[in-house]
Amino acid sequence: MIFAGILCGVLILLLKVPMPLIDVFVIPLYILNLFFLILVLFTPAINGSHRWFNIFGFSYQPSESAKLLTILLTARILAKENLNEARQLIYGFLCVLGPVLLVIIEPDFGTTLMFWMSLMAMYIAAGVPAFYLLLMVSPVLSIIASFHWIFIIVWIILLILALIRFRLSWVTITVASILNLFLCIIMPVFWSGLRDYQQNRILTFMDPMRDPLGAGYQIIQAKIAVGSGGTIGKGWLEGTQKNMNFLPEHHTDFIFSIIGEEFGFIGSLVLLVLFALIFWRITIAIRDIRVQERKIAISGIFGYLVFQTFINIGMNIGLVPTTGVPLPFISYGGSNLLINGLAVGMVLKYLNERGFMK
Amino acid sequence: MDKFSFVHFFRLILGLLFGILVFALFRLQVVQGEYYKQIAESNFVRLRRIIATRGEIYDHKYRSIVKNIPSQNLYLITGRIKNYKALADFLYAEFNITADDLKKLIESLRFRSYEDIIIAENVPYERVLTLSERLSYFPELFFRSETTRSYLYPNHFTGYVGRINETEYQNYRNEDYTINSQIGKTGLEKYYEVLVKGRDGREIVQVDSRGRNLNLFRNDSTILPENGMGLVLTIDNDIQQYAESIFPAGMRGGVVVMDVKSGGILAYVSKPGYDPNLFMSKISVEDWQALNNNPARPMTDRVIHSAYPPGSVFKALTAGLGLEKGVVNEYTLLASCVGGLKVGNRFFRCWSSAGHGRSNVINALKVSCDTYFYDLSLKLKLEDFKKFATQCMFGVKTGIDLPNERTGLFPDAKWYYDHYGKAISITGHKVNLSIGQGEVSCTPLQICALYSAIANNGIWITPHLLEKTVGNNTYSHQQINPIMHTRLPVSPTNLRIIQNGLFAFCNLPGGTATGVKVKGATTFGKTGSAENVFGRTTHAWFTGYIVTDTPEICVTVFLENAGHGGGVAAPLASRILNYYMGNITSIKAPVQVPIELQSQTEQEPTPAEPISDPETPSPNPDAEVAQ
Repeated sequence: MIFAGILCGVLILLLKVPMPLIDVFVIPLYILNLFFLILVLFTPAINGSHRWFNIFGFSYQPSESAKLLTILLTARILAKENLNEARQLIYGFLCVLGPVLLVIIEPDFGTTLMFWMSLMAMYIAAGVPAFYLLLMVSPVLSIIASFHWIFIIVWIILLILALIRFRLSWVTITVASILNLFLCIIMPVFWSGLRDYQQNRILTFMDPMRDPLGAGYQIIQAKIAVGSGGTIGKGWLEGTQKNMNFLPEHHTDFIFSIIGEEFGFIGSLVLLVLFALIFWRITIAIRDIRVQERKIAISGIFGYLVFQTFINIGMNIGLVPTTGVPLPFISYGGSNLLINGLAVGMVLKYLNERGFMK
Repeated sequence: MDKFSFVHFFRLILGLLFGILVFALFRLQVVQGEYYKQIAESNFVRLRRIIATRGEIYDHKYRSIVKNIPSQNLYLITGRIKNYKALADFLYAEFNITADDLKKLIESLRFRSYEDIIIAENVPYERVLTLSERLSYFPELFFRSETTRSYLYPNHFTGYVGRINETEYQNYRNEDYTINSQIGKTGLEKYYEVLVKGRDGREIVQVDSRGRNLNLFRNDSTILPENGMGLVLTIDNDIQQYAESIFPAGMRGGVVVMDVKSGGILAYVSKPGYDPNLFMSKISVEDWQALNNNPARPMTDRVIHSAYPPGSVFKALTAGLGLEKGVVNEYTLLASCVGGLKVGNRFFRCWSSAGHGRSNVINALKVSCDTYFYDLSLKLKLEDFKKFATQCMFGVKTGIDLPNERTGLFPDAKWYYDHYGKAISITGHKVNLSIGQGEVSCTPLQICALYSAIANNGIWITPHLLEKTVGNNTYSHQQINPIMHTRLPVSPTNLRIIQNGLFAFCNLPGGTATGVKVKGATTFGKTGSAENVFGRTTHAWFTGYIVTDTPEICVTVFLENAGHGGGVAAPLASRILNYYMGNITSIKAPVQVPIELQSQTEQEPTPAEPISDPETPSPNPDAEVAQ
């Protein structure tokens, strides 16, 4: 509640502040934020990771603000007109790399993923040719495909066809294909080189049900909660799974399971529609805004909000592995609400500009 | 790619992702909704904790000191309460739990209403039987068979366990504790909590109301509990029992018996005592108040939890410093004792108003002449005194494996300035310190450790209770926390002189404690009668050790406001020393580790060993396991 109040105040302030002032502050704030990300590593661990500062009872998660600031900075760099595509790619990558490295040692895998998602969205918005993106994503897909030889074959053929379709030089196609094939083949070797507990950890991440008393316990309980909500739900505050303390973190990452349980499919649908409306409105903003930098920035914001929502709800219903990503605007956590609010605030701010500034 | 078409791409991704979510939600909630609803309402899928058995405590011959015994505990699940009024009446009538208490409990558990909470401990089995029929009216109540502690020999060092309290729960909730957990509150139970606790197991119960397996989890991966390790102490139950039995009734004080060579404590008595078994079920208000308001403070462990002026037992340390600094040697005679010594314009009295004449150090120790040490202290600097005392582990925690040990105090100049102002003259205080009076204070354990070090030719060893652990793992004390060995800052020659003084005290004609005679061993020792602010009667001290062909044990007896050390403390010590020497063969006899206490690795027979014929009983315990 307090944070909602603060957020309203901050949003009004944000809309009043002249645009150039915000532009001036992006770089210093980005650097300050990097500093916070280093500092946060020295705080006592909460649930095994160093993510939060506790100041006067408020917790502040610097990786949240880093997301927004990184997007603003990256957008500015990608929008520079004198850059060729390769430089765009590299500079954008470097902007994201700093915070990502600091966040991954917290450790916070989920947030790292969000950084890459927004970077992808920004590359697309910046007009980076699709084959670059394909080449960038291909190693990840190769790793996924390496689970079965049929996947490997299908994937490599698809990759080659796609690259031919983009009319790349034969050298590029050959090198890319061979590298990816090599990755596919090397993965099983690498895998068997891992120790048992490392393999287990990765497998449990992919499939939490393997560890029903640990990681999987939460998921199965969340799934029961959502499923038992049925079509119309059990009614507000009537959820029983929550009461049984089955869901130890029900006010944070697993809030959706409570919504699903208490309001049922109808309630979940309403929530999804609300999210979809917000995101749809953001795509309209992307289309309408003419300034390249802002277009890219909004794309980045769009990218991480959409994926964050998808991954959070997905992990509540057992679709995707648990990664500790909060549900935007809804999960408990002041900095989450504040930063997502500010991100949307930036979109509003851009929309408020007039004429050629828009 | 067209310049604006990427917005369409974004919308496509958005639609795709949300489409997946809607589809998955529809399947989960609408198609399979009924199935999950059944599971949720049946309450049958739950994680159950299998409580690990707490490690027991044994003496050095594997005889029990603390045992686990079965107990029946009554649990309540507040979320299942159907008839509140009936429940309140029932609990009040049977367990004396008032409606107010119940209300508070339910209020405090409103966010954990489906967790079970313990409301009555150690209900006698006959009552469980008589109550069980009536319990069927209360689905929220149920009994659970668990274990509780039985303290066979009530004493201070074992301490006791109790239900975890709110602050402890907040601190340790991530370390495998629940709101119903037992946790060590004092003594060894607290100090070695991590070792004796073990690790609770988990199991998932996933059968529905008809007993069918729900198959939510692919494998029933039950995690078995890892039971706590047993503690084998250095305590000898016989000596401990004997020391307890001869302790004069109604007196306050403590007895420590320490093995000089190892630092292990053989007996550890603090009186008056209390019965820790009282804490195992909810302690009645009367008992609690009786324990707390008793002027004799039975809960205080007098061996380490309070510090007292050491009196004359401290003189050995003063003598050591004088010898080390070269102020005196074995033959130096100091000021003539005329029943005291005049320092400045103040007359410090010796305990003997008749006076002792001029003494050397051995004679001064023998007759415990105060004047000798007064005069010696005038030749010593306070900072040297403080440094020496600290090196002798005085005013320093001994590091015994028990919680909340007192440090004691040896003051330095800064301490005096802080407490009495800058104008103070330290000389007078220093004179007092030299005979262990004034501001110096120490625990009986510190004295025992110091005299053990003197007996052990100057090697000071951390006193300790734990010898090793048994059960899942066998660790020696050294592996758990290292035992410190340090050398007292006294040269062997000078140590010899002090030992001679202590020998003279107990054996030579004219010595104060010639009554302490032990058959088959030589006695060394020192008494003390410490004046104190708590009463007109002095604290009685005796500390001494016996040497056969090697140094054996050191006994420290301390009695609060009991009179003269020679009169009350020394006879007690004498009886303990005699008991030890009388039973030395049985005490020192090696003991086989009982088979049930051996760790897994020890029990496995090595393949090289021939496995004996199962028909013939074998004396070899390893072979019996092999059968």
